[in-house]
Amino acid sequence: MQPTTNTMVKCIINGVDLEVKQGTTIIQAMYDNHQKIAHYCWHPGLSIAGVCRLCMVEIAGNPRLQIACNTVVTEGMNINNNSAKVQEAVKWGLDFHLINHPLDCPVCDQAGECGLQEQYMEFGQYNSEMAEKKQKKNKVVDLGPTIVLDSERCILCSRCVRFTDEVSKTHELGIFNRGDHAEISTHAGKELNNKYSLNTVDICPVGALTSKDFRFRQRVWYLKDAETVCNGCSTGCNVNVFFNKEGVFRVKPKHNESVNGHWMCDDGRDIYKFINKENRLLKGQKFINGSWKAETHAGVAAKDASEVLKSATADNTALVVTGQLTNEELNKAIGTFTTHFKTKNIFHWWPHQEKAKEFDGLLIRGDKNPNSNGVIAAFNQHGISTQFSDLESGLTSGKIKNLVVIGPENTPVYSDLDQKIELFAKAENFIFMSSAKNDKLMNINSLKTAIVIPLKTYIEKAGSFTNHAGVVQSFKKATTIVSEALTATEAVTLLTGQNLQIQILDEKQLFIAENKRPDAVTLDNRKKNEFVFQRGKM
Amino acid sequence: MSEVKYLTEFYHLPEFKNIDGYKKNGGYKQLEKAIKMQPQAIIDEVKTSGLRGRGGAGFSTGMKWGFLPKNNEPRYLLCNADEGEPGTFKDRMMMEKAPHQLVEGMIISAFAISSKKSYIYVRGEYDDSINALEIAIQEAYKAGYLGKNILGSGFDHDMDIYRGAGAYICGEETGMISSLEGLKGQPKLKPPFPAVQGYLKKPTIVNNVETLAAVKYVLRDGAAGYRKYGTEKSAGTKLFSLSGNIVKPGNYEVPLGYPLKDMIYGLGGGIKNGKKLKAVIPGGSSAPVLNAEESERALLDYESLANMGTMLGSGAIIVIDDSKCMVECLANLTYFYHHESCGQCTPCREGTGWADKITHSILSGKGRMQDIELLIKIADNMKGRTICALSDAAALPIISFITKFRDEFEYFVREGKSKVKGTAYKGHSHAAHH
Repeated sequence: MQPTTNTMVKCIINGVDLEVKQGTTIIQAMYDNHQKIAHYCWHPGLSIAGVCRLCMVEIAGNPRLQIACNTVVTEGMNINNNSAKVQEAVKWGLDFHLINHPLDCPVCDQAGECGLQEQYMEFGQYNSEMAEKKQKKNKVVDLGPTIVLDSERCILCSRCVRFTDEVSKTHELGIFNRGDHAEISTHAGKELNNKYSLNTVDICPVGALTSKDFRFRQRVWYLKDAETVCNGCSTGCNVNVFFNKEGVFRVKPKHNESVNGHWMCDDGRDIYKFINKENRLLKGQKFINGSWKAETHAGVAAKDASEVLKSATADNTALVVTGQLTNEELNKAIGTFTTHFKTKNIFHWWPHQEKAKEFDGLLIRGDKNPNSNGVIAAFNQHGISTQFSDLESGLTSGKIKNLVVIGPENTPVYSDLDQKIELFAKAENFIFMSSAKNDKLMNINSLKTAIVIPLKTYIEKAGSFTNHAGVVQSFKKATTIVSEALTATEAVTLLTGQNLQIQILDEKQLFIAENKRPDAVTLDNRKKNEFVFQRGKM
Repeated sequence: MSEVKYLTEFYHLPEFKNIDGYKKNGGYKQLEKAIKMQPQAIIDEVKTSGLRGRGGAGFSTGMKWGFLPKNNEPRYLLCNADEGEPGTFKDRMMMEKAPHQLVEGMIISAFAISSKKSYIYVRGEYDDSINALEIAIQEAYKAGYLGKNILGSGFDHDMDIYRGAGAYICGEETGMISSLEGLKGQPKLKPPFPAVQGYLKKPTIVNNVETLAAVKYVLRDGAAGYRKYGTEKSAGTKLFSLSGNIVKPGNYEVPLGYPLKDMIYGLGGGIKNGKKLKAVIPGGSSAPVLNAEESERALLDYESLANMGTMLGSGAIIVIDDSKCMVECLANLTYFYHHESCGQCTPCREGTGWADKITHSILSGKGRMQDIELLIKIADNMKGRTICALSDAAALPIISFITKFRDEFEYFVREGKSKVKGTAYKGHSHAAHH
């Protein structure tokens, strides 16, 4: 809830002189200026509840501590949250939160990223005096298709209730009963079932709400995270992907006020499923003379394809792209085909075109591609105006003999996938680049020559997408899942018969000074790390 | 000193309940007068009279009305008749014996603040009050005191009754507003205050039954006339509900500043069964307890009681004799607040339960010596840390009972039995039920 005025007021927070917009709350001012303050119920994307009573601050001239979330900064206010009085209040506030909390961190999914753990480490009093029996509440409550609730862990901050009231506007949740037997639950006859339900898991500061998809699958401290953009639809929500060497385990939204605010949809959280190895194309494949040959290296498959394309002419060659490629890849592919192969037979495969304007009012859009606008822009830039129906007739008539298709990554949203593969297979030489496994292609009887080149997914490469509103969002490479797969840029380069320019970094470049931790696992450090060696003898 | 019959002048007349009997004894005269006045003049009169909220907080009524925004936004008048403070039963008597007194007071107040709609939020258990008010409101409509164009003045006002469902927290003004809105009865964050944004997010004034009834008398006698009773800062009379180990329990109207001693030994007829006075809770269960010595010198007005570290509250005087165990008395209160905390704010939700469990541990003979200090620490950290005053209401008795009767608590922990009764607690532990 950001104020809309531009009038500024001056204040002092913990001795730091600040200037904030009139109407800003103290907690917002502290949040914006990266000052630490304990809080559970306050969330920048939700209304103010003022119930956890942790964000206590002392305001000069006011004998009573105030909550920072519901106190607006006024001119000249002198605020602190580091006095002994505030610290004592926060310690007790945390103790009140914990007296009935089960402290089952060893089996709790939230451990490692838990608000209670984090704030207790920072502000806790470390000697709980609670000697009475704890409240018993419902555990393993099935709230709906995506979420499980543990009421004993719940600290009743009401964030999830406010989320369903204010953001998803689905009103499934409420707090029932009174006092210390109050519990979160769904209203009678309802289940927590909406397209945004998993946001409640993200904003739950403790392990009360857990995702059925993620729970018990990984300890969060074994996961790394990286920022990227969701490619589930044309909104392009900013997200963090959490992964380890086994693959990606979950996707969470990252705040970007001008794109997705604090939220993302539940569908977007499933994108990791097509990124992970089990659904990926791992090797190059070749169908020639009526049978599939032994799998090859991706680069070998691309080289084979370049041999096939040596005989390609402008008229009998075509390229198909989708809005799932990055702007950079689109420019490379389209540029290569217009200049090297001299063809303008370039087609946009876009099954969602008619639904592209659909919007649910919050985040979800009808166009399930992150970069349809990028395709349109690239086509304009390279002077391409084609109809997909021309490709269909060209393939049926046999006019188009060489067809290169850079297929979608997120195949589940391409409902016409099998049908289109059947169409593409009519080409004499069908070169299919894809990151996803495809069973359909393997079973087409009329296949002539086909070469399949495994591609990297978007989180394995850097690039940019242009979203529905024309916002160009760049992202870096997050991790590598299939190391052998090629990016579309690399694959297209190989198609022209060129070799890849691989930049081999020396050790200095590999270990950029600021990235290098003093205890990084290098041989020298391991030799110095006596503890590691002594442990063997103990 | 004796009782005064000011608000309660005609309470002994059964016909005072009905509009005819009420009018025969001066009823609706003040409304007829008020409706011809400037609304601001009424507010000013109430302000000068020194009338303070009789529900417990004791805030100046005229000043509260003055917080309303000066615009034409619709606004509401709510009468708080939820009377949930343990020991309090004065509003019930007022509504049962003189419903028109409240209705008239409310119409005058509504006119003063230009409100076209009012609600009386009555405690759910008060069947007789609700019936009496329903009849009174119907009679007032028939007589033209409610509805469109009241007494030809052009002022419209509608009044309704809303029946509560038995939650203590709905007697807190913003909790009451939530409940009236059809939401869970939970207090709202302030600011915004109800006078700015209350019922249905519109400016709202919430006043107690006794406060609204008294408005009529302020108009009748003028601010100066009203001030004939009471002290400089605590003007007027007040109804006190006297209960506990007393010979003549009941409601008594006395001028503010009346000695507590006279209330107990005079009007109340002294302690029952020849026992000795041990303690008094002077303003409803939330008010810190006074010991016998303090009770002997206490005066019943806002300032005097505040100076003694307690409060006048709702005017519920609970008398405790020397055969009662203070640990047991406190456990009764901690159980109440544990049961009634709405659970919204953490310190109250967790603190009330924790304190209740500890007090009952002590009662069952399982207390630890450090529990006594722990109770005080818990109470200290519940106080002033929450949205509404329930947390304070739960904390204050804990602190005052322990500081004033520490020997009884220490004895109980040490010996495992009551210093007064000589036995451990035999009843079931309430806390165990939650």
